[in-house]
Amino acid sequence: MKRKVLLKELAFARSGDKGDVSNIGIMAKSKNIYEFLVNTITPEKVKNHFKGMVKGDVKIYPMQNIESLEIVLHQALGGGATCTLRFDQTGKSMCTALLRMELEVDEDLIKEAEEVSKNILKKYGS
Amino acid sequence: MKKVSIGSGSGFWGDMLEPAIEMAERSDVRYMGFDHLAELTMAILNRMKMKNPESGYIPDIIPWMRQLLPITVPKGIKIITNAGGANPIQAAIETQKIIKEMKLGEMKIGVVFGDDILPYIDEIRNQGWKFKNLDTEEEDIDRIRDRIVAANAYIGADLIIEELKNGANIIITGRVSDNALYVGPLMYEFGWKYSEEYIDQIAAAITVGHIIECSACVTGGMSNMWRVSKRPWEIGFPIAEVYENGEAVITKTPNSGGIVNQWTVKEHLLYEVIDPSNYVMPDGIADFTSVKLIEEGPNRVRVTNMKGKKRPDTLKVCIGYRDGFIGEGLIFFPWPDALEKARWAEKWVRERIKRLGVNFDELRIDYVGVNMLHGESAPIDDKDFNEIGLRIAGKTRTWQEAEAIRREVTHLWTMGPIGASFGIPLNVRPVIALWPSLVPREAVKVESNIMEVKE
Repeated sequence: MKRKVLLKELAFARSGDKGDVSNIGIMAKSKNIYEFLVNTITPEKVKNHFKGMVKGDVKIYPMQNIESLEIVLHQALGGGATCTLRFDQTGKSMCTALLRMELEVDEDLIKEAEEVSKNILKKYGS
Repeated sequence: MKKVSIGSGSGFWGDMLEPAIEMAERSDVRYMGFDHLAELTMAILNRMKMKNPESGYIPDIIPWMRQLLPITVPKGIKIITNAGGANPIQAAIETQKIIKEMKLGEMKIGVVFGDDILPYIDEIRNQGWKFKNLDTEEEDIDRIRDRIVAANAYIGADLIIEELKNGANIIITGRVSDNALYVGPLMYEFGWKYSEEYIDQIAAAITVGHIIECSACVTGGMSNMWRVSKRPWEIGFPIAEVYENGEAVITKTPNSGGIVNQWTVKEHLLYEVIDPSNYVMPDGIADFTSVKLIEEGPNRVRVTNMKGKKRPDTLKVCIGYRDGFIGEGLIFFPWPDALEKARWAEKWVRERIKRLGVNFDELRIDYVGVNMLHGESAPIDDKDFNEIGLRIAGKTRTWQEAEAIRREVTHLWTMGPIGASFGIPLNVRPVIALWPSLVPREAVKVESNIMEVKE
């Protein structure tokens, strides 16, 4: 059984800048989710998701060791922090924009992600 | 096995002082690194120095040294800071004064400078180096040469190590890479050299430096863990306990707030990295794709298996040049019909700018509360919002044109739809654009010396 969920349910994200490059780190909530994301999130999908905000190439570097993806968006911050007209000059919110990406996901993986989120609250929250 | 603890006391100019003081008081760190320089900072500091030759360093260094040195000196904690900015020598003189005035005893201040290549950039060009733009791939700086206001190389840890060997208690530098503030003391303590034998150890130092160099950003700040961060208003800064074999444990100030776990370390390992298998620093190249993270206890993450490659023959250089102006305005519209009012106002401003004949390179319209952050990727709900802000920003060649755009938005206060609210008007700001490039390592005339403080 598959259903549509947002990337937000499956991963954490953090973004920053280097000049006009926006980089988005996507941290999968589990090993299985990482395998799914590596095979599902493509540079084309990411570029289309940002609807014209990213003018250059998108590259994805898989990091199996930490079950994460480093997604690098070129010409993505309106010229870079010191000259962009964007309010978010350093692209700190770019990661959350990507978390809106809609994916068709196996029910099992969705449950796995829910478990990880619950465990994080239980383990660190008390 | 020998272990050295090193902490981060500042991640940027404007960081909080309290966590640095608490780290000095409560922890057993031998070194504290203080980074204050971002890409634009050197251009700002250069401008300050042009106005007053005795400025050009990060002014925070004065109150910070006053509060930190009485704690760090008796404990033997060494401070390594790039707060020298565009004038490390003056920053050292000011620090010297504080040490004398507070009667902190005999001390040696190591000063590292020479990262500023602007005085001899044309000499380097005359030898055939063109300073190709790494972002745009434009081949030559010719087009922007007469607008350059800063050109600083990101220098490595070589001279930090040198001055530690000379017995420095404090090291003040110019545009040393943030990372080198941590690599330097680790290489010095463990006797790691820039040779084949120590490549992986240096990569480990680079990785550890990268993880802790932005202070609170690995201890629960800027984090997905915000819900589970403990007493975040008392957040602790990060400490790395580094072992001779290159392994390290990332933790934070004892009894501080915040959180360190596998997720906060992952967040920072991924942060502002382009190719994670080639994280290029002046002291070496680290491969973040081999690193292993193990949560070994509350607020303790072990980092192992760091690998790397030898340091590059070139250094990164950040060239800043004047590139026009930005004028912007902000106004808020309340329910009912807030979004419709904002759209009305957008049209009004566009028409006004057209009538005035103001030229601009780019004009940007944001609806605050709808798409200011997520831009074109944000869906717009068709609902009656409580309030919507309108932000208009224009980039122009002249100050006058930027001012005209800013001013037109303020006219909406009295000429716009009912309920329009406004705060304090914003100022026009000059734009310093950045031209990232490389420079041959041997072309950069780095220097260092010791400034002694005698009783």
